[in-house]
Amino acid sequence: MLREKRAQDIEKVLAKYPPERRRSAVMPLLYIAQEEYGYCTPEAIREVAEIIGCDPTEVKSIVGFYTMFYEQPVGKYVIDVCDDLPCALRGADRFVSHCEKKLGIRVGETTPDGKFTLNTVMCIAACDRAPVLQINKQYRYALDEQTFDRMIDELP
Amino acid sequence: MAELVNVTIDGVTVAVPKGTLVVDAAKKIGNHIPVFCYHPKLKPVGMCRMCLVDIGTPKIDPATKQVVRDENGNPVIQFMPKLTTACTTPVSEGMVVRTATEQVRAAREDILEFLLTSHPLDCPICDKGGECPLQNLTLAHGPGVSRFDYDAKFHNEKHVPLGELIFLDRERCIQCSRCIRFQDEIADDHVLQFHDRGRGMEIITFSDPPFDSYFGGNTTDICPVGALTTADFRFKARPWELQSAQSICTHCAVGCNITLNTRLETRHGGFEIKRVMPRQNEWVNEIWICDKGRYVHHFTRSEDRLHLPLIRREGRLVESTWQQALQLVADTLRAADGEIVLMVGDRIPNEDAYLLGQLGRAIGARVSVSPNVPSHYADVARAFGVGKDADFKRLGRGDLVLAVNADVEEQAPVWFLRLRQAVVDRGAQLIIAHHRSTKLHRYASAIHRFEVGRAPEWVQQQAETLAQALQAARHALIVFGDEHLDGPRARALAQLLANLLLQSGHAGRSDSGLLPLYPHANTQGVCDVLSPHTALPPAARVVWAVGVGDPQELPPAGFYIIQEVLHTALVEQADVVLPSLTFAEREGTFTSGDRRVQRFYRALPAPGEAKPDWWIAQEVARRLGFEWRYNSPAEIFEALAKDVPAYAELSYAALSRVVEQWPPIGREDLYYGGTAYDNTGGIGARYAAEAETRALPPYDVTIPEPTIAGLKRGPRMLYRDGELIRRSALLRARMVSLQQVA
Amino acid sequence: MITEYLRKVPVGLATVFKTLFRRPVTIQYPEEQKPMSARFRGRHHLKRYEDGLERCIGCALCAAACPADAIYVEAAENTNEERYSPGERYAKVYEINMLRCIFCGYCEDACPTNAIVLEPIDFPVGYTRESLIYTKSMLLEPPPPGVPGTPQQTPPGKYDRAILPFPPIDESV
Repeated sequence: MLREKRAQDIEKVLAKYPPERRRSAVMPLLYIAQEEYGYCTPEAIREVAEIIGCDPTEVKSIVGFYTMFYEQPVGKYVIDVCDDLPCALRGADRFVSHCEKKLGIRVGETTPDGKFTLNTVMCIAACDRAPVLQINKQYRYALDEQTFDRMIDELP
Repeated sequence: MAELVNVTIDGVTVAVPKGTLVVDAAKKIGNHIPVFCYHPKLKPVGMCRMCLVDIGTPKIDPATKQVVRDENGNPVIQFMPKLTTACTTPVSEGMVVRTATEQVRAAREDILEFLLTSHPLDCPICDKGGECPLQNLTLAHGPGVSRFDYDAKFHNEKHVPLGELIFLDRERCIQCSRCIRFQDEIADDHVLQFHDRGRGMEIITFSDPPFDSYFGGNTTDICPVGALTTADFRFKARPWELQSAQSICTHCAVGCNITLNTRLETRHGGFEIKRVMPRQNEWVNEIWICDKGRYVHHFTRSEDRLHLPLIRREGRLVESTWQQALQLVADTLRAADGEIVLMVGDRIPNEDAYLLGQLGRAIGARVSVSPNVPSHYADVARAFGVGKDADFKRLGRGDLVLAVNADVEEQAPVWFLRLRQAVVDRGAQLIIAHHRSTKLHRYASAIHRFEVGRAPEWVQQQAETLAQALQAARHALIVFGDEHLDGPRARALAQLLANLLLQSGHAGRSDSGLLPLYPHANTQGVCDVLSPHTALPPAARVVWAVGVGDPQELPPAGFYIIQEVLHTALVEQADVVLPSLTFAEREGTFTSGDRRVQRFYRALPAPGEAKPDWWIAQEVARRLGFEWRYNSPAEIFEALAKDVPAYAELSYAALSRVVEQWPPIGREDLYYGGTAYDNTGGIGARYAAEAETRALPPYDVTIPEPTIAGLKRGPRMLYRDGELIRRSALLRARMVSLQQVA
Repeated sequence: MITEYLRKVPVGLATVFKTLFRRPVTIQYPEEQKPMSARFRGRHHLKRYEDGLERCIGCALCAAACPADAIYVEAAENTNEERYSPGERYAKVYEINMLRCIFCGYCEDACPTNAIVLEPIDFPVGYTRESLIYTKSMLLEPPPPGVPGTPQQTPPGKYDRAILPFPPIDESV
């Protein structure tokens, strides 16, 4: 139960909002859930809904809308490669194929050992240093196949 | 009256209230701007882009703040650089709208082509096919040919049960969000939402139990495609095969207007109700009905229906003829020497109740209603009920709704919708007093609690404060129920509330008054036309029970005449069983809880030799020597109107009056308002409360002591254990027995 | 007068004797049948796909198109465990009143899956009205040799389309 495991964090979040506007706390609470379980588990979604007093369907909808909330278990490292237009012009699609080959998975999948998850994302605002990716929200700029391979191999 | 503004749509100038949306203004002058996501009962969102039009406003000189005029003195119209959604743009003075331009035509065609890229085109097997807005609008505005390969179409799940009653076809869904918005804005059950975005966007439910709402069926009516279908109607018939009969829902006191769709069938001797659809009546149910009204119709063709009169011979009920059965009834009644109890249920129409009452009085019987009919306060409601012209739509800011001992959503679901709108959308004040929490509690500005069954005492104690609150309000509507109250105590509650109305000066005013939550469709009507005795004699020679329904204790008697629709447990006690008809197989009138008298029409043929109650009453009367010759309920109603003062001004002609209603509903407008039916059978009429016609004195109230029987009288819930809408293991497992709770 | 009569008799008898040795045009229907044009609209058949599933999806468009109101359809829902036709819907009851039918072929035109075909074989004949109401089992073709009939058990996802792309039209027939 999230409320038992992370009682203090939840209290801290809820304290930021007036009691009649508890619904606004949905996103920070979901982040706590994601931190705790690695992804937004159905049980956690229902619990968050209960805490903020709304229907689980509404919370599920928010989880579904935002790409940074995961509904499935993800790997230890989540790699988000930008394949939007400017990056594509700098060869992002070829780069993504390489990533797939290197990790042995398709976009949206997780390696069998649970270490990596590969996603493509919309613009992450670093077009000047494309191709670009985020690994667990840390930026890595101006990548090519060699730098990517090295990065993967060096990760613990 | 709101300020009017002039707007010109395709050369036609129309004056509409300020704030009207362009799409509505156009509709008023017969310019049908196509829409998918917009619905006149929901807030606009502008999601489908189907309503794109060319909108221009008079050019204003920034320096002088004056309208710029051309050499002829006409205002210069400045059009928006791009097309604008007509469903989100309110009109403004001098606005010019063009809907017939090439640009608009092309936009509509493009939007439709876009929607059809992921639409499966399985119209032949789609339940909406034939009454589908997407079909109709594609025919009217869409491209003639598709540029897309059929095999390359977007595939998605076609069979997603959202709940036990509603199925979703994700391929057909065009993401208009009408269902989501209906659940959010009207029903306030937030069980549907979008999930994901872009191409992956789809409708989901994550609630537990999934799509759990008393009003879920309405989402299938307003769905502009066949994405939402009901488990009940799924693949049952094509819309063009259906015949429709206008009717009134019988399950609660609201009196929702419904249309019964029937079709020729290989079973049940020909016809069967295929679905129940809402019928527009803006004074009663708008265009909504609750799920019980929509799905609970199978009893009309139940295996337990009585087809022939039965007579007990040698201890067994054997099938007989009307001739024999009626003669036996007449002979028994004649021999009973007036020691007769005629007990009438509150589901039978006014005409039949009236005729039975006349017969009962003529033969000296004790005429009463069945013990579970709350007849004790019908006269209070008749005197202090809502005014003749009261309209839920007008209830709003400055008005007060007082709900005492009333669980409105459970007992009169559609009234819950109306009251919720008055409070949430239009700012009426809501005060609730109940011993437990109800869904209406969400909107209350003040919540009071009393002990179980102590509602009359609470009102008496709080009389001063309540009167003050009522006095401050422009109009006051008081909703009350008889949960955990026996007859005399419920009467005391009604009287106390009536006194409050008198005290605060609201008695006899149009939009104020009492709104009792009766259990059935015609409780008020039966009490009006019968004027029943409230007490039953300890014993009688003959008991004649008509439409009493639920198995219960009858007074001990030597001979039981049971007039029923279904083979109930009560029928087993009978000496003679007379089979009668349900509302679907006959015509008549019902009087709703707010005293609106409404007509319903015949939809089905009678099963076997079953007859309407009035015919049975008349045939018995004639065998007892009365010269009655009524040919139809219409003739009986004429006699009733002469006899019952409250109904004096009513006639079948007055009840079948049809007026134009907004929004327009019906065949050519189904893209706009949904597949609810338009009202051609009459909107009915409410008779005036006594307090409106003359000054009434306050009641002298003494509250009787509570009785065990009264306290055991649980809430009469429409959706209760044992009354399953659809037999399901899931639902049964989830339902907590009311006996356990109480 | 009488001479004219005598003159005409042999002429008439000549016709009799001429036809007496000609083959009769009448046939012993229904035991004996005449070949019909391939496009003749005889009685209806409900077709199957090659895998044995019924083409009819119970959409009742034939009933809607029928000018004589001769067709009656009641639909029901397919499941993967008990599948009659591709897609979700199939005809549970399908009846044609052959006495009402005027053999106009509008039902063929209306059918979105080419399920109903009027073929120049096996004409509806009978001695009672009841026997001329053809039920689904009478109308439905047997499955192709070696192929199971319906209902079939099918893998999920294989038949989620009610209307499959038509095979190319064979012009040679």
